[in-house]
Amino acid sequence: MIERLHPSRLARRLALFWLLLVLAIVGHNLWLWLGQHIKIDTDVLAMLPQDERNPAVQDATRRLADAAARRIVVLVGANDWPAAEKAGDAYANSLRASGQPLGLRYQVGEATSEQWLNFFSPYRQQLLTSEQRQALREQPPALLAQRAIEALYRPMGMPRFGQWQDDPLNLFGSWLTARAGESKVRLNNGRLALQAEGRHYAVLMLEQQGSAFSIAAQQALLPQLDHARTAALATGAGIEVLTVGIPLHAAAAARQAEREVHTIGIGSLIGIVVLTLFAFSALRPRLLVTLSIGVGLLVAISVCSLLFDGLHLITLVFGASLVGVAENYGTNYFSGRLGRPAEQRWAMLREQMPVMGLAMLTTVIGYALLALTPFPGLRQIAVFSASGLLAAFVTVLWWFPYLDKGEMAYTRLSTWLGSRRALWPTFQANAYSGLVVLVILGILLAGGMRLQANDDIRLLQNSPPDLIAQQLRVGKLLDLPGMAQFYLIQGRTEQEVLQREEALKAKLIPLVNQGVISGYQAVSDWLPSETRQEADAALIRQVVYGANGVMSHIRSQIGEDLPQPVADTPAPLTPRQWLASPVSEPLRHQWLGSLEGGFASVLVLRGLDHPTKQTKLAPLAAQLEGVHWVDKVGEVSSVMARYRHLMAWVIAISYLLVFMALSYRFGKRAWRALAPTALASVLTLALLSLAGQPLQLFNVLALLLILGMGVDYGIFLLEQPQREAIRPFLSITLAAASTLLAFGLLALSATPALRAFGLTMLFGIGLAWLLTPAFMPPNTSTTGKDAA
Amino acid sequence: MKHRALILACLLSVGSASTWAADIASSVKERLLRPEVLRGEFEQSKQVNGFKKPLLSRGDFLVVNERGVVWRTREPFASVLKLTRDEIVATQGNDVAFKLNASKEPSVRVINGLLFSLLNGDVSKLGEHFKIEGEANAKTWKLVLTSRQAALAKLMSKVELTGDQYVRRIDIDETNGDKTSIRFSAQNSEPAKLSREEATRFD
Repeated sequence: MIERLHPSRLARRLALFWLLLVLAIVGHNLWLWLGQHIKIDTDVLAMLPQDERNPAVQDATRRLADAAARRIVVLVGANDWPAAEKAGDAYANSLRASGQPLGLRYQVGEATSEQWLNFFSPYRQQLLTSEQRQALREQPPALLAQRAIEALYRPMGMPRFGQWQDDPLNLFGSWLTARAGESKVRLNNGRLALQAEGRHYAVLMLEQQGSAFSIAAQQALLPQLDHARTAALATGAGIEVLTVGIPLHAAAAARQAEREVHTIGIGSLIGIVVLTLFAFSALRPRLLVTLSIGVGLLVAISVCSLLFDGLHLITLVFGASLVGVAENYGTNYFSGRLGRPAEQRWAMLREQMPVMGLAMLTTVIGYALLALTPFPGLRQIAVFSASGLLAAFVTVLWWFPYLDKGEMAYTRLSTWLGSRRALWPTFQANAYSGLVVLVILGILLAGGMRLQANDDIRLLQNSPPDLIAQQLRVGKLLDLPGMAQFYLIQGRTEQEVLQREEALKAKLIPLVNQGVISGYQAVSDWLPSETRQEADAALIRQVVYGANGVMSHIRSQIGEDLPQPVADTPAPLTPRQWLASPVSEPLRHQWLGSLEGGFASVLVLRGLDHPTKQTKLAPLAAQLEGVHWVDKVGEVSSVMARYRHLMAWVIAISYLLVFMALSYRFGKRAWRALAPTALASVLTLALLSLAGQPLQLFNVLALLLILGMGVDYGIFLLEQPQREAIRPFLSITLAAASTLLAFGLLALSATPALRAFGLTMLFGIGLAWLLTPAFMPPNTSTTGKDAA
Repeated sequence: MKHRALILACLLSVGSASTWAADIASSVKERLLRPEVLRGEFEQSKQVNGFKKPLLSRGDFLVVNERGVVWRTREPFASVLKLTRDEIVATQGNDVAFKLNASKEPSVRVINGLLFSLLNGDVSKLGEHFKIEGEANAKTWKLVLTSRQAALAKLMSKVELTGDQYVRRIDIDETNGDKTSIRFSAQNSEPAKLSREEATRFD
């Protein structure tokens, strides 16, 4: 059986070749990561098929997200303004004292308001709100005149700019009031202030410095904010500090990840190392298995970055997990080594080759199928995991005998573990098996009836509840428009964009009046299209100053001979002027400017608090040219749903192909290798649904991994089905234990996606390991290849 | 997320509660009755910049603690201005000429508070917005208010209050040259409870 004790020349060359290739790949990886030549894509929508992607939508969402990614808003509240101001000042001073004032905006000079007034004043005769426009169009000049006179007699009126007769209807004052009404933030004693729900708040705007995605910058932020908060709270009783912003969520996620790396990560590492030490009485197997997986990952990253423009974050996460199947090959190698002299390792490996090759093939089949789907994300995952797995396999095959020179005797644990196989019952036609079948059927039936899917990505929302509560509270206090859903308006020219926005607003106003939404925020409210400005100027000229207009009525009613104002219509307000002025700052992020060969803007909505409302909003976009309804949450959720469906099909077809591959080697017995994994998978689904877990992409992904790993267990056992054989069962037990320690422990994670994945792996791998021996052919004390 | 409205913000902004410690102010504060309910007649003369003759109007007013102000003009035409905690509403007959809600425009509370304080002579409240100077003799007093804030000063250059146990006269000089002078008469605070008819004026 053992032909040669030493490696062939070919083996030598292959090992050397692989070494050179791996070194090249390590170099490539260093260049990619250290030189930042790798583009990590995080937008889930980038995983949609190319033809379904709207580049403008993607660009728009990205720009909006970028604008928000660094922003933090702090509300310092108290029962009266002086207390809020004092606490707000303490907060601001603490931040300034930190030497990193975080782009603080709180104390705002009076000059700013002057700037605003000066900017819009020249255009006052051509700016109207939609209510004003409607009133001027529909109400008789006599009535308007009467109202103007009524306002004139009031002891105190609304703020008005310039002389009464220049603007008897106070159109400009009301226009500014409407613009001001878009924000609840006011200036109080030179500070940004908010008055809501009977309380006063000092409003502080911060901006995270440095890169928006720098974890270091996010982490550096938290202690500063905590200090400032303590300083604010110390100024008196009843002070409340609300802090919101994406950097906080990111920092919280990073903290949690760090915590979990410390607990789950280290726990699983210790578990795996201890297991290896006891089973093999050496650390070498663990190091080499890790090496094989590491090489696999590096190769996968190199291959993907050469084949694709950028690497998607999801590819990295999922792909890295899928490459984890390589655990099985290394463990199988070392289980085979146990109790054999070191010089036999070459021969042993040759002997193991067909089995390990089959194990690898059955896994790669599933991964490769992912590449046939039209989704670029799945293709990337397929290429990543298949190339990674192949590289890990090759590493075991070509390198392990060189690196693994020591002797490996059976340890007590390995002998004990491996011999447990003998205790396993075998499924047969008897009452005992019948009972088990009944229990399994019961679980499947009960679980199947409750099985439901939910792809809403908000389920994956992972931020601390306190942070979410503050976010909701601040959103309500400030009446902020939502950014997750919006209209994207595109046009060939800037003016066309503004005109299309105006057409959209005309359709939204009835919805505001019906209370579907409470309002909207649009650039064209501040910067009307030129056509609109001209039309409004003409309307004012005709209704207010024209023959039989408002002014003539006023003259005759109050008996004053008021002079006609000089009709000077300045050039229209243009996007360039608006953008160049600080007045555009609050809405500038909604003006996307040139986009995809044209121009674009974003219109956001207020009071969109219920998903059902979207059914009234989305159809509006279809009626208007150049208008898109963008629902990021919905789209991402639907991407997840489609990936889940596709993945489910891929798994189903994989089972078929794996069965064919198994049949080729095992003939009629093939089902014994596959059935335990299939049963484990459906049982896992049933158990998950009984536990109230909705089905998500992450569960399905785990099922693919369970197929890849579980079938290996079947193959290894079926290859040597004797109940007395120690090595096969030891191999699959160690592999299953490592997998459970690596992935199953993720069930303890607080991150929902990881928890779903971990829980599925925990059930699936556990059950596959438990069931596989029971499916082995009965009464095989000698190798009987044809026993069914 | 950002502050979108500095203009109105400034114009209607609330004052700081910096201390004011003018003796005259506290002496006036002692003299004023500041009852729960104050009724009275007014006569307003408004000189609008560019108008040849002043605009005269007459009517009555009602100031109720915790509720607000109802300002009813009889001449030259009938109209009602109602200022409560939550809104400002101007009506002519059944026609609502103007309405501003505090939930949409938080400054409504400030405007209403200011008018309320002026009519009621709430000197401490006024001290939050204005620097107070003045003079007093045995019977009457006069306060000259100048805005503490540049924003408010851009609207009103000067406010003068004259009175005894009640505010008897208010003179407002606006920066655009308009001058408003309001004289009050027949002020009384009895009964201290609103009649049914008076209560409906706030609805």
